[in-house]
Amino acid sequence: MKMLAKAPWLGVSARFAGLAPMLVSALVAGVSTAALAQDGLIGFVKSVTAEASVTVDGKSIRAQAGMPLHAGFVVKTGPQGRIGMTLRDNTLLSFGPNSEFVVDEYLYAPGSGELKLSATLIKGTLQYVSGIIAKLKPDAVAIKFPGGVVGVRGTEFLLLVEEEKS
Amino acid sequence: MKQLLVHLCAFVLGGCVSAPPVPTPGPSASYVVLLNNSDGSTGQIKLTTRAGESVLATAGQAARLAGPPGQMFEVNRAKISRDFGAAMDSRPPKPVSFMLYFLPGGARLMPESEADVKKVLSEIVARPVPDISIIGHTDTAGDAQVNLRLGLERARYVAGLLANASLDRRNVAVESHGEKNLLIPTPDNNPEPRNRRVEVTVR
Repeated sequence: MKMLAKAPWLGVSARFAGLAPMLVSALVAGVSTAALAQDGLIGFVKSVTAEASVTVDGKSIRAQAGMPLHAGFVVKTGPQGRIGMTLRDNTLLSFGPNSEFVVDEYLYAPGSGELKLSATLIKGTLQYVSGIIAKLKPDAVAIKFPGGVVGVRGTEFLLLVEEEKS
Repeated sequence: MKQLLVHLCAFVLGGCVSAPPVPTPGPSASYVVLLNNSDGSTGQIKLTTRAGESVLATAGQAARLAGPPGQMFEVNRAKISRDFGAAMDSRPPKPVSFMLYFLPGGARLMPESEADVKKVLSEIVARPVPDISIIGHTDTAGDAQVNLRLGLERARYVAGLLANASLDRRNVAVESHGEKNLLIPTPDNNPEPRNRRVEVTVR
């Protein structure tokens, strides 16, 4: 029970009570908090069409439905590629062909107020559907692109970034 | 060549109008569109570039990423589906949450919640690659540490019931919030049936 005592959500207050379905995990199927933090599981790939890859720490893997996603991942789609994914706070992200997207930072510990989704669409197309982070702390969400940033107030949007021709 | 064109224009049209703007690929074609939420409401997005800020607050409203601040335009469905159809078709189904309620002091479900377990199971099997989180809660009756353990006991009990869905264990997150995340705020040592619950989110 030691790891439970350290869990950040112990600081959760009644003001989050109405948002309860969204508070997520310090324990993954018996795995300790420390292991999870190291593990850094932040979501899952839900659907893939044609070529799409996920890169973590420089290692690129062909994306598959059900594949876990870890902090700092990069997703790329080919000329026919499409991919959809769900993050732990219920954010939905989906991409069309020739897209490249980097998750710069992802924090999800509602009890302690550690919430952040910072990511960049380098090129391609994105559909973004906001999750709990955007609900609890709108300023904590930044979807960037070369030259700027989209801030979110609990909503869905589409973003198209044409690659800069040099 | 340019001269020839000018002559042609002059000859054919009796004067030269500037060519219609061809949508050129490149940063100038980049844009953002605000959509309705699935519940029909609309939020806001704020586009910030070196040039300044634009706030979009109406569904279907769009702004060029390289455009001047505050300049918006409407995008029709045909263009949205041409530009974003692939991304939109790949959007995963929305996560769904369920509440299962418990009898006081242990990990026994209320009879009506026992019936709801089937609904959770059918939501899980309806998804090709589900991941689920199971969060146990208690009311404020009794000691907080004991309740933290009780919440975990309840969450694990539900995980056991859902094990029939033969999920990859890796995709199941089980935890307890004890008495720290009340659905119905109450003072300490207050038995409240609606707080004795397990939340299951199926993604």
